[in-house]
Amino acid sequence: MAIALADSRTKRAQTRIRSYLTAEIVTGAVLGTLVLSALIFQPLLITHDPMAGDLFARFQPPGTDGHILGTDELGRDIWSRVLAGLTWSMSAALVSNLISFVIGTALGLLAAEMPGLVRTIIRQLIDTVLSFPGLIVAICVITVFEQGFWPLVLTLGFLTWPVFARVVYAESLTLLERDYVQNARLIGVGRVRTLTRHVLPGLRPTLMVMLAFHFADMLIAESALSYLGLGAPLGEPTWGNMLAASRDKLIFAPWMMLAPAGAIVMAVVTTNFVGDGIAALSRRQGKGIDQ
Amino acid sequence: MDSPAKDRVLEIGNLHLSFRSPEAVTEALRGVSLTVERGEIVGIVGESGSGKSVTAMSVLKLLPGDKARVTSGTITLLGRNILRHDEAAMRSIRGQTASMIFQEPMTALNPVRRIGDQITEVLTRQGILQESAFRDYARKLLTDMRIDDPDRVLDAYPHELSGGLRQRVLIAMAFSGKPELIIADEPTTALDVTVQAQILSLLKDKARETDTSVIFISHDLAVVAQLCDRVYVMYKGEIVESGRTDDVIRRPRHVYTRALLNALPEGKPRKARLETVAAAMLEGGSAAESATAAPPPATPPPAAAEPGEALLELIDAELYYPKARDVMGRPIRFHPAVDGVDLTLFKGETLAIVGESGSGKTSIAKLVVGLERPTAGEIHYRGTPLEGRRSAEVRRDIQMVFQDPQSSLNPRMRAWQLVTEPLTVGGGLSRARLRDKAAELLTLVGLEPDQMTRFPHEFSGGQRQRLAIGRALAVHPKILVLDEPTSALDVSVQAQILNLLIDLQREQGLTYLFISHDVAVVRHISDRVAVMFNGRIVERGPVDAVLENPQETYTKTLMEAVPHLRLGIA
Repeated sequence: MAIALADSRTKRAQTRIRSYLTAEIVTGAVLGTLVLSALIFQPLLITHDPMAGDLFARFQPPGTDGHILGTDELGRDIWSRVLAGLTWSMSAALVSNLISFVIGTALGLLAAEMPGLVRTIIRQLIDTVLSFPGLIVAICVITVFEQGFWPLVLTLGFLTWPVFARVVYAESLTLLERDYVQNARLIGVGRVRTLTRHVLPGLRPTLMVMLAFHFADMLIAESALSYLGLGAPLGEPTWGNMLAASRDKLIFAPWMMLAPAGAIVMAVVTTNFVGDGIAALSRRQGKGIDQ
Repeated sequence: MDSPAKDRVLEIGNLHLSFRSPEAVTEALRGVSLTVERGEIVGIVGESGSGKSVTAMSVLKLLPGDKARVTSGTITLLGRNILRHDEAAMRSIRGQTASMIFQEPMTALNPVRRIGDQITEVLTRQGILQESAFRDYARKLLTDMRIDDPDRVLDAYPHELSGGLRQRVLIAMAFSGKPELIIADEPTTALDVTVQAQILSLLKDKARETDTSVIFISHDLAVVAQLCDRVYVMYKGEIVESGRTDDVIRRPRHVYTRALLNALPEGKPRKARLETVAAAMLEGGSAAESATAAPPPATPPPAAAEPGEALLELIDAELYYPKARDVMGRPIRFHPAVDGVDLTLFKGETLAIVGESGSGKTSIAKLVVGLERPTAGEIHYRGTPLEGRRSAEVRRDIQMVFQDPQSSLNPRMRAWQLVTEPLTVGGGLSRARLRDKAAELLTLVGLEPDQMTRFPHEFSGGQRQRLAIGRALAVHPKILVLDEPTSALDVSVQAQILNLLIDLQREQGLTYLFISHDVAVVRHISDRVAVMFNGRIVERGPVDAVLENPQETYTKTLMEAVPHLRLGIA
């Protein structure tokens, strides 16, 4: 009896694990792990100092003298620079994403919970920020402050929080109507607690997916701003800067452009797959919960 | 029953059907056999998950082909085995040989197209008529459905019609192709009792008139008793009993049928314990036929309801909802949900409010618990008027249990957190203390303490409602407002919850405000009743007096519309 019970339990565990092994979840997990390990083991993978130039080895094509992806106009190793750029791009995307998420979620919840003046102000604010031309704001910020990590991520964060705010606002409105939220208020649960304990957990699946896809958007935005010389400080090994440097050497050294461009595409595709994976995962987990 | 084979419209023989998902294969039907003769109205009765809808859907092959698989058996419609038909052949059958009426008329109609266009679409597909004749034919169809102003209905969008009118339109569409067989899947469950009565008589008359066979699927034995010639009782994917409706209901042979009938409050002494299906099934053995009589329900002395202290009073209470607003957002027109109601709730009694949808009964519940404030009038609790923000004590004393525990319990909280949340509001209780309280509360409502780490979706519907009741009782309330607490539940589960409520009232001296549309349930559990109509109370008094001998026109109409089993069982 005990054996039969244990047997059926392992069997159930097996089927449960198998039900998680869908294409989206597996692809997302594998690609995500790859990029993450590249980030962690970066010191081991880098073959040259990404900042050290060698003027006798300029414009080397991929494969020469241990330069896996060739060298640039100052003879710096492109493979090492692409890897170094990974850290910059990932942290910039992550931090701007989080800023955007925190502001957006807080204001979205607030707008849903407080009808009247507060809601009107927040909704107007959302529309105002959305109608800002992002590029011009970025140029202004960089002119006033100087280029650097924080000006960049703060600009991106403050320009994109309405993405979160609008979704959180709309979803919270329906969640606040649910019987269990009414029920919580009935027994005297306060406003903040109602929002954090009853509304926010309900938003979790949506927010997870949004975080992943917004991360991809932030990656592209960061590279685009750096390419225009508005993001990372010049000379810093970032993908945007590398792309900018490759512009006038495209004809005779195309690898200078292909390497960072390829890296951007890979990173964005990976985050999108991770996003799909998270979406599939929360659908799978929410099966019994959200009906 | 010995009619020649050509008069047999449908024959299902030993049908096995299973659903497959990544996790498991579930057998939904386990050897279902049934027949439908020409012009016959056949009922299929069962609780949720019994396979009654699956059986019906398989006749029209409406189940998702990738998930549902017929493993063996036959479905013969007018002499042809439809299991061999492909999708194209099925399309010519649907609507013309057999058609379907669904439960929810709002979702079965396209919300953005006029009724007339939708009927025309059905007619076009069947190629019955010239285009010019469509409107006349559609008008005739609707007139046949006893719709007085067919032209208005034809030009209307679904949301402009009442639920009853929408269901009439769907019935008209189902009959439009002159089918041999109509499958009606709980067609009146979403409707009010008085509307249900009209729809049932309409369906019956039309079927008789056109000699159409009907399969009527329902969870409601009383409705089936009123409508059907023969009935099949389903339980866990099997047909456990079949026969003429009268025979099955008066002389049930199978232990499940008997248990189901005993679980109904109708015809039982007031506040007596109802027998639960689970208990009966355990005694009588699972699917085996058994001849042992069900034990008579224990009859405790009916709680004598001497009027105690007046706990709660509504004095000329009004609740107006804004219907339209001006540019500045100020309401300019109102809908009176509660229109001048006086109501007194005495300590220890159960006062029921009966009414149909839109009568204002739920609005009264909201007023009592404080989810809404009265637009005018007063609410007194123990003699003191409740004004402004309610004190913590008053909030504790008046608790509410919602209709659907699926939505009233936060799906992301565990059982122990849910039942003890009311205790955490003031703060100060340790986690261990809360868990002890949770164990106590779970035991009180008949759940196991070791279930406290589960999430709501890991409980059954009845267990979830127990959880909701436990949560409401956490702070030792004086008044429990029960808003249709059993109407989302199966009959057998309803019996369990009613038993629990009656026991709790006796043990803890609770006062109930019981809101329901179900007259049989109200008659069973309450001491006094108030009948609501259009925001007003039209009749009130002791339960037996009001329900047995109604004085007002509306109460009379309501009581006549309630379907009865008409039997002397119990």
